[in-house]
Amino acid sequence: MDVLFLRNIKKEFMTREDLIISLQKIVKPYVQDQNAFNNLSEETDFINDLKINSANLVDVILDVEDEFDIEIDNDSMEKMLSVKAALDIIETKLSAS
Amino acid sequence: MIGNDVIDLSLAKIESNWQRKGFLKKLFSNDEQQLILEASNSFEMVWRLWSMKEAAYKIFTQQHNMRFFAPKKFECKLTQGFKGEVCYRGQQFHTSSIINTQYIFTKAGLSKEKNSYSEMISPDQIDTKIKNKLNVLTGLNISGIEQIKSRNGAPSYYYKTTLLTSSCSITHHGNYGAFSFVQA
Repeated sequence: MDVLFLRNIKKEFMTREDLIISLQKIVKPYVQDQNAFNNLSEETDFINDLKINSANLVDVILDVEDEFDIEIDNDSMEKMLSVKAALDIIETKLSAS
Repeated sequence: MIGNDVIDLSLAKIESNWQRKGFLKKLFSNDEQQLILEASNSFEMVWRLWSMKEAAYKIFTQQHNMRFFAPKKFECKLTQGFKGEVCYRGQQFHTSSIINTQYIFTKAGLSKEKNSYSEMISPDQIDTKIKNKLNVLTGLNISGIEQIKSRNGAPSYYYKTTLLTSSCSITHHGNYGAFSFVQA
């Protein structure tokens, strides 16, 4: 069976908790507030809490696209300011793919 | 209304890779990408346009209490010298930039603002310097001047219940900081 196909199935059945762990790994290099990062929850805001530079938000988005093999369109990108928003978008895109 | 943005170029070089696949496409319109690729210094053009978008966005968030990430929709045009225009949802923001080898600083405005003040300073001095400036302009006691942030992060300065800034924008990146405000 196609390896890529297996990978997609696996991602699609990831739980919300698994997704948070993946997202945490993705944002780590861009975080400027370690304390907020250690206490990361769904309510965490990328810019206000993690102090991610707004220009690095695009790196987070590109990394998410690569990691989950999805495409984040402009309308989704517009909302991607918090962990919760990112998880919602990833879940929606995964279930559609 | 006034908005600003500063970019420490040596830090931008470390923090971002504008040549990364997808980077330009996500942030810049086709015309802007063309400007970047044809520029003699593409790196500088990337951050010049980015600072224009950010400065305009900071005006929009003062007008509307909302936050979003749609840099591509803030369409930039370079006009004359270091001046430019940013268009978003039918609104035009006029920008002017200072560009050197260390930093890019862009200020955006909706129209020619009277009583507007802008200064580049070290990032840890921004709040103090604004209060000093307001003290000089109004004669009000510094200890009574306070910064209040709106829900989406836009700052305003008050003396007790009196608004002192009708528009205010603060920016810092790496070694550089700046404030711009319009006196109320």
